[in-house]
Amino acid sequence: MSRALAFLTRRKGGDAWDWTDVFTFLWLGSAVFIMFGPALWLVLSSFKSPAQLAEFPPTLLPYEAQTVVVEGFDRPLPLFSVTDEAGTRTLAEVRRVGTVAQMVDPENPGEVQRVNIANRTPVREVGFSWGNYLDPFLRFDFLNYTKNSIFVTGVATLITLLTNSMAAFALSKYEFRGRGFVVVLIIATLMIPLSVILVPLYSIVSGVGLINSLWGVILPTVATPTGVFLLRQYMLTIPDELLEAARMDHASEWQIYWRIVLPLTAPALAVLAIFSVVWRWNDFLWPLIVLSRQEVYTLQVGLNAYAGELNVQWHYLLAMTVITMIPVVLVFIFLQRFITAGIAGTGLK
Amino acid sequence: MTGVKGMLGAVVTAPLVALARVLEVPLRLWQRLTGQGGMVAFFLLPNMAIFTLFVLLPLVINIAYSMTTGAALFLPERTYVGAAQYERLLRCTDYTNLMTCQEDQFWIALRNTGTFVVLQVTLLIVAATITALILNRALRALSFWRAVFFFPVLLSPVVVGLIWRWILDRNGVLNAALVGMGMDPVNWLLERNYAFSAAIGVTIWAHLGFFALILLAGLQAIPRDLYEAAEMDGTKPARVFWRITLPLLMPNMLVVIVLALIRAVQVFDEAYVLTGGGPGTATLFLTQYIYEVGFASLLKNPGLAAAASILMGGVLIVLTLLQLALGKRNERKGRLK
Amino acid sequence: MGRIQLHDIRKSFGAVDVLKGIDLTINEGELVVFVGPSGCGKSTLLRMIAGLDKPSSGRIEIDGVDVTPRSAADRGLAMVFQSYALYPHMTVRANMAFGLQNTNMPKPEIDARISEAARMLEIEPLLDRRPGQLSGGQRQRVAIGRAIVRRPTAFLLDEPLSNLDAELRVSMRAELSALHDRLGATMIHVTHDQVEAMTMADRIVVLRAGKVEQVDTPLNLFNRPANLFVAGFIGAPGMNLWAGQAKDGAVQLDSGARLPLPSGVTVPEGSVTLGIRPQHLRPMAGGPVRAEVRLIEALGPESVVHGDMGAGGTLLAVLAGQPDLARGTVIELGYDPQMAHVFGADGQRLA
Ligand SMILES: Nc1ncnc2c1ncn2[C@@H]1O[C@H](COP(=O)(O)OP(=O)(O)O)[C@@H](O)[C@H]1O
Ligand SMILES: [Mg+2]
Repeated sequence: MSRALAFLTRRKGGDAWDWTDVFTFLWLGSAVFIMFGPALWLVLSSFKSPAQLAEFPPTLLPYEAQTVVVEGFDRPLPLFSVTDEAGTRTLAEVRRVGTVAQMVDPENPGEVQRVNIANRTPVREVGFSWGNYLDPFLRFDFLNYTKNSIFVTGVATLITLLTNSMAAFALSKYEFRGRGFVVVLIIATLMIPLSVILVPLYSIVSGVGLINSLWGVILPTVATPTGVFLLRQYMLTIPDELLEAARMDHASEWQIYWRIVLPLTAPALAVLAIFSVVWRWNDFLWPLIVLSRQEVYTLQVGLNAYAGELNVQWHYLLAMTVITMIPVVLVFIFLQRFITAGIAGTGLK
Repeated sequence: MTGVKGMLGAVVTAPLVALARVLEVPLRLWQRLTGQGGMVAFFLLPNMAIFTLFVLLPLVINIAYSMTTGAALFLPERTYVGAAQYERLLRCTDYTNLMTCQEDQFWIALRNTGTFVVLQVTLLIVAATITALILNRALRALSFWRAVFFFPVLLSPVVVGLIWRWILDRNGVLNAALVGMGMDPVNWLLERNYAFSAAIGVTIWAHLGFFALILLAGLQAIPRDLYEAAEMDGTKPARVFWRITLPLLMPNMLVVIVLALIRAVQVFDEAYVLTGGGPGTATLFLTQYIYEVGFASLLKNPGLAAAASILMGGVLIVLTLLQLALGKRNERKGRLK
Repeated sequence: MGRIQLHDIRKSFGAVDVLKGIDLTINEGELVVFVGPSGCGKSTLLRMIAGLDKPSSGRIEIDGVDVTPRSAADRGLAMVFQSYALYPHMTVRANMAFGLQNTNMPKPEIDARISEAARMLEIEPLLDRRPGQLSGGQRQRVAIGRAIVRRPTAFLLDEPLSNLDAELRVSMRAELSALHDRLGATMIHVTHDQVEAMTMADRIVVLRAGKVEQVDTPLNLFNRPANLFVAGFIGAPGMNLWAGQAKDGAVQLDSGARLPLPSGVTVPEGSVTLGIRPQHLRPMAGGPVRAEVRLIEALGPESVVHGDMGAGGTLLAVLAGQPDLARGTVIELGYDPQMAHVFGADGQRLA
């Protein structure tokens, strides 16, 4: 133990290659595998056909059974590689009866051969079942869910930025009676999670008629004390002289807010915007409670409902999970620096 | 990179700018009429109205709610029952046997949550600390490694739950690996202890990066010359860890521990999607209990759910106060130095 | 245009009285400098004139109109802040245009004013940069430019030069004076640096602890300081101030020295303070001022001598050239009694 600690506290790799260096490499190596692996596996699996998903053990890559169009048959026939007394050859299946398949040689479609299914394996190539992605949008409600999620995320983020920054501006740049009280109130409610006020919140949202409305999902989330707190802390660092200069420049208080203070708060606004997008896109419990009609489901709720069905259609479910994941992964790839800085600096999540 | 950021920025700001311009003239008028006080009210009103309606008001009426019974949704229509809901939650004929409790589900959820909090937070903190220490060694490609651990943090709980449900499936890739190594497959999500462990493992997987990042920030703030001074003194590395690294990391460590506790007490999304609380009640946690009693079950009892949520809120308030107190103490210590 | 009158301006922050009744008239086109030690209330007074703060009591008039209840924007003044307060996210051009746009001025007029001011201040090449890309001196010019384009009835400048290095400060001082001559507008310039005040001002307002000590032209302040504070504050190095007893046309110091008073004024017997500027002392064998040399600062054309007069009295003398003096020797100095200042026990000027 103490050797492990010794190794961990050292700031630079030593000269000798000792077992503790091995520990680092093991830890990091397995991290790549454990952290990225599941998501990669999800993406690979999402391209597999239902038959392939049922296979055990699973293959790494998605394959597609090859088919061939044979003269005299309306639909393409699946291809098999057959090995029996007569040698190895590639045949197309016409129909199957019990353990025996009737097959034809694509080159010579007139002659039907009977083959025991134990003697054949399907011919297949790496291929992607794009239908997994298309069908849910075309045949199920996922297009709708996606629209709802985008609406909730976009509108909630805009309202959050607007109302939180206005409140933060008032609370950081004006002296008025009751200001201290409001600030304390906001800090005191920072840590109160949704799950503590679930029941009364539901009755209020229901009272204002927003059950099964996307606005019922949006409104309770936009007045988060977190945003006001974060922005206020940032605005406190903007010198008051700038505001006074603007006042001498005939700027109205509203102009001071949006022409002077908001642009200068851009870094904090960006952090809040990114987090708000991720939060609202990922929200689950509250939408689950407010939305009980299919046509207003968000992606997360729709996904959960779909996964809860008796006969889970994994091929669609996995594909939609990937779709749900994409925006967040994009945000992560392009804005990682912002996010990590934001978290390290504010403890926000 | 900057292009993307610029575009994102423009998309977000364009409607706001348009709105701001439109409001300029009426607000100048409003300012003339009401002065600065009127403007302060204007800036505060939207946020405070929403905040009051959807945060403060629920907080206040939750207590009243927990003292009522019935199926009616609105408080004035509900029947006052005093502390009956709390009594129902807490009464057991024999406290050594949870099955004798009137609300045995609550007690099971409580026990599960307690076990979960202890195990998950301990493992999470240890793993996050090791990760932070490793990332703090002058590694090449730090931002890549940070990304490795951080990547799952942003994923939605539903996605996390589904990814792992797929991997832990009876015919999933994990069992395939076991079979490949000559072992028997395991029914991960259908056996009590495995399912519980899976809930712990998956939530750690999802949140490790977040806590490691905060700890890493703490480690990076420790001045390097302290280590050099210790090295000059010939201090043993183990001693350096216990006497320098850990004490200086303590402020961040405390934040991390309390945050992890607060999160663990509320565990719901990932576990719910992963196991649905099962098998049986093996992974039924408090939040799920509140959700089901309040909204999902056939015998809805919002008053009971409110009472349970207030008990949970009490725990969270204690934890939050603890964090504030610890933060204050650290501040004072910092000032003394 | 540009006559500013203050009537009994008072200001308290909580229990602290920062301004204790200020009456002042600033004439049209005048360059007035507020000078005084840090914390004496200069900025507070200026901000009150600007309209950024409201006085606790008193009245402010501009061109005879009571503007006390008016907001900052409606007083027609422009201010240059100590930190310049340039909008960091706007270009220099946008900084200068901002105030004009807010009054709905037509764009050609705005452009014309900006280019005129930019030419005057030689900041034309900087117009499309942001404040962050400018040096301190350049920012200073932009801040002044932003005030100029407004064509205000008066300019208010709060320690505009204090963030510049010494050399730049001297040249900006001259430029500001030139600018004032050219614009002919009223200017109120705040500084804690008396050299700045002396070199720039038409009239100086000396403030101490929220009160006006004296208002006069620089030379009058130098030649006839109204009280001990002004006497000590104006002039560098500071005036020698020796306390003693007045008797028979001379002052008897504790050290025993007898220093002659100016003739033609009657000084009642009793405690007085005699003030003599270091520049007015000259070597004189057997002169009334005797001191042991402690330190010599040889500046080339002149030398500053620090001396010890005994009984706690110290001496400062600025002697022409490079006199041959050694530390520890005793020098004897004389002065023209007409150049001496006499202050009574209450600190007010007697002669
Ligand atoms: N907003 C304020 N609240 C309380 N005290 C203030 C405030 N502004 C200034 N003061 C006090 O008033 C006094 C004068 O300040 P100021 O006018 O800034 O002095 P200066 O002459 O250096 O510009 C100082 O003692 C300062 O502490
Ligand atoms: Mg000042």
